[in-house]
Amino acid sequence: MSGIAGTISVSLPNSACPRVETSTHQRALDQFLRGVERRALRMAELASGNRDEALDLVQDAMCGFVRHYADKPEAEWAPLFYRVLDSRLNDWHRRRNVRGRWLAVFNRDSADEEADAVAQAPDLNDPGPLLRLAGNEAALALEQALGRLPLRQRQAFLLRVWEGFDVATTAQTMRCSEGSVKTHLSRALAALRRALEDHQ
Amino acid sequence: MNAPDNPNPFDQAAWIAQARQLLDASARDLDAATASRLNRARQSALALKTRRRSQRWLLPAGLASACALLLAFAIWPQQHGKISAVSAATSAAAMGTMSDADATPADDTPEFYQDLEFYAWLDAQGKDGDG
Repeated sequence: MSGIAGTISVSLPNSACPRVETSTHQRALDQFLRGVERRALRMAELASGNRDEALDLVQDAMCGFVRHYADKPEAEWAPLFYRVLDSRLNDWHRRRNVRGRWLAVFNRDSADEEADAVAQAPDLNDPGPLLRLAGNEAALALEQALGRLPLRQRQAFLLRVWEGFDVATTAQTMRCSEGSVKTHLSRALAALRRALEDHQ
Repeated sequence: MNAPDNPNPFDQAAWIAQARQLLDASARDLDAATASRLNRARQSALALKTRRRSQRWLLPAGLASACALLLAFAIWPQQHGKISAVSAATSAAAMGTMSDADATPADDTPEFYQDLEFYAWLDAQGKDGDG
């Protein structure tokens, strides 16, 4: 009898644990994605310049993260998620460049292209210096300045300054060396400063 | 950092802090439609996780089936060889029996059974003559 009782007392918790762990894990994952999704969307939007594209990119990044890294320790989730997102953004840019090259081959009307490029470029005559503006104008000025940065510089700035990652984590996320991160960030800060000072 | 002739130095630390605040605000103040689409994206990603978990048994089951199939293919020819040998032997034995049996019906006539006593007497006479 004591043997049976011992067996029951040992076997019940063992069978109950995975289910509890699963629901806790699922909740933690939901909480994590809820916490990063808006920032991720803004990053993707700054990179693509289009909200629908950005939403697709974020969903793709979420699925990729869940598929490959959800079983990793929670402390590693943020860098891993942004790593997936960064990878998706790079892929998106590469695809867009290839598409642009093909379109340039098939569409030789360079005058029209220049007109389109000008129409799509941010309006630099808009808001004044960031520090002297308030509310939407300041946000718009920052967004335009960020939008003009190259992808790697913008990612370095957003990950270091906005996400608060240290250099090593940013390097791991962007899959480059720490020196590259420092270079990208330095150039990003200089470019942003120039862009915003021009409004003064 | 700033040029000495710049009358209004660009305070990088202050600017970075404000940039962070502005980015936070832009992420916080998303419209309802976008927030809803983000929610759907998150749910579909989480559903992927649940689906993966429920399909996790498929891999071991598939492996087990493959192993069983391999084992069956490895064992079957040997067993089939043994069975063939046994069945051949059985057939041969059966054929032997059949030949004996076939011999009997040739003699299996009413006359044979009627003259059986005569053949027994003839056999006994022969033995007596030999002896």
